[in-house]
Amino acid sequence: MAILSISNLTKKFKDFTAVDHISFDLKEGEILGLLGPNGAGKTTTIQMLLGVLTPTGGEINYFGKSLGQHREEILEQVNFSSTYTNLPWDLTVRENLTFISYLYNISDRKKRVARIVDIFNLNSLLNLETQELSAGQLTRLNLAKSFINFPRILLLDEPTASLDPDVASYIREFLLNQRKEFQVSIIFTSHNMAEVEEVCDRVIFINHGKIIADDTPESLAESIETSHLELVVKDGLKRTIEYCQNNNYQYKLDNRAIVIDVKEKEIPEFLRSLMDKGVFYDQISIEKPSLEDYFLEITKKGRIK
Amino acid sequence: MKIHRIYAVSLRFWYYFRHSFDRMTDAFYWPTMDLLLWGLTSTYFRQYIPNNANVVTMIVTGILLYIILWRGQYEITVNLLGDLWNRNLINIFASPLKFWEWITSFMVIGIIKAILSIAFASGVAYLLYKVNFFMYGFNLIPFLILLIMSGWWIGFFVAGVILRFGTKVQTLAWAFVAIFSPFIAVYYPLSVLPAWAQKVASFIPMSYIFEGAREVLYKGSLDYRKLWISLFLNIMYLIISLIFLRKSFDKVLEKGLVKVY
Repeated sequence: MAILSISNLTKKFKDFTAVDHISFDLKEGEILGLLGPNGAGKTTTIQMLLGVLTPTGGEINYFGKSLGQHREEILEQVNFSSTYTNLPWDLTVRENLTFISYLYNISDRKKRVARIVDIFNLNSLLNLETQELSAGQLTRLNLAKSFINFPRILLLDEPTASLDPDVASYIREFLLNQRKEFQVSIIFTSHNMAEVEEVCDRVIFINHGKIIADDTPESLAESIETSHLELVVKDGLKRTIEYCQNNNYQYKLDNRAIVIDVKEKEIPEFLRSLMDKGVFYDQISIEKPSLEDYFLEITKKGRIK
Repeated sequence: MKIHRIYAVSLRFWYYFRHSFDRMTDAFYWPTMDLLLWGLTSTYFRQYIPNNANVVTMIVTGILLYIILWRGQYEITVNLLGDLWNRNLINIFASPLKFWEWITSFMVIGIIKAILSIAFASGVAYLLYKVNFFMYGFNLIPFLILLIMSGWWIGFFVAGVILRFGTKVQTLAWAFVAIFSPFIAVYYPLSVLPAWAQKVASFIPMSYIFEGAREVLYKGSLDYRKLWISLFLNIMYLIISLIFLRKSFDKVLEKGLVKVY
């Protein structure tokens, strides 16, 4: 069942259309990746979903109710975290979480703040002013703030940016657990494609304000036919390069290793041709296309699925 | 309107006050300096003004009443700037907080800080010059209410301008209220103003309060008609300034709260 439904959402800034009639749903317990190059319209979309930017047109419905007409009731159950906004930097971590907890009228406020502080490992930072925190600590505080009201829907704009890999991994695990335990639905933006593949059930690609793809990460990656074939060439590197150039294969060289973009079904034929030319290699690896390849291709060519 | 949300935003402003040396200075240091400077100056002049023992009281109570006006507007404009500097508007408006709850919290914190400042400054005035601010008795209540109302509409108007044009016009947060100073006759009677300025003053609600306070001091009575005119003007300007602020806020929502700083 869709708990967030967006229909024909549009935002124009004078002559520039930042978001152009996009429509999509978010299901209960779903983690949806919102991807696209810088300036594609992701953050504009998230701002409209939070009610801090007025759409030029279209509908936003949470839990079957219009955001415009039921803002208060809806936002009680929604929260967000973004690397692009700050909590007041002259307040301590404790003060920030306290005033936010009053804003959402948390029933057992002290207990909830203590629990959130534990989860995001903020205990030793409680009495520090926000301006004294490192980028990673700030990200953890923003995430802690976003969970304070037991949200049913979370909008996370690059939630793991600036985090150490182990903390980022812990946060991803935490998000997946929250989804499993409480059916929290999440809209997630990130520039880390591996992370998106790991966390998201579905991915929407936005470019120039339009949705150009909406599918699972696996299906999107599979739609790219080109694999990366890596060979460490023992004898015949020059012949390999010539062959690639003559047959329009893209390649990258790294010492004696060459990475060639080849369609998966053409790999046997490609290898046999090299053998016929007397090329010998002692290492071979084939990397299947990933979401990152899809992202690169789609942003490069503006391809529409 | 929900009390817990008004409390939340007021609490955030209160924390800001506690942490900010600037705010502490504004609340306690400058009022003390004004009282010292103007109080001593008027004490000196008293020697040369025959039959006017009230001159020190007039100047000192003028300063105290002006603190109320200044506090009312200052809490609105500077707290708004604090949220802009901190880029905190998104955090609070992506929550269920309503625009009118936000406005109310400005008023609440303005009243609390005005009480704090005036309690402190009236204590200083008594200690330094034996001027008892509470000599106005019950008249003090309408004086304080009307002056803080004036502070609010000035503050809301400036807040609307800051929301529209961003922090590049932030100096208005401190400076705008001063534009009224020559016309509201804080330290002198309105009669010293030229005729055109008296006409301007008649449209400014604060002028009736300061004039009324002087009447109490010199005549021992108060023309309550002045208070009603002041109340009427204050209500009118408060409504206009709130409409302007709301429209500015809606304008900002069209650009996105993230873009305002």
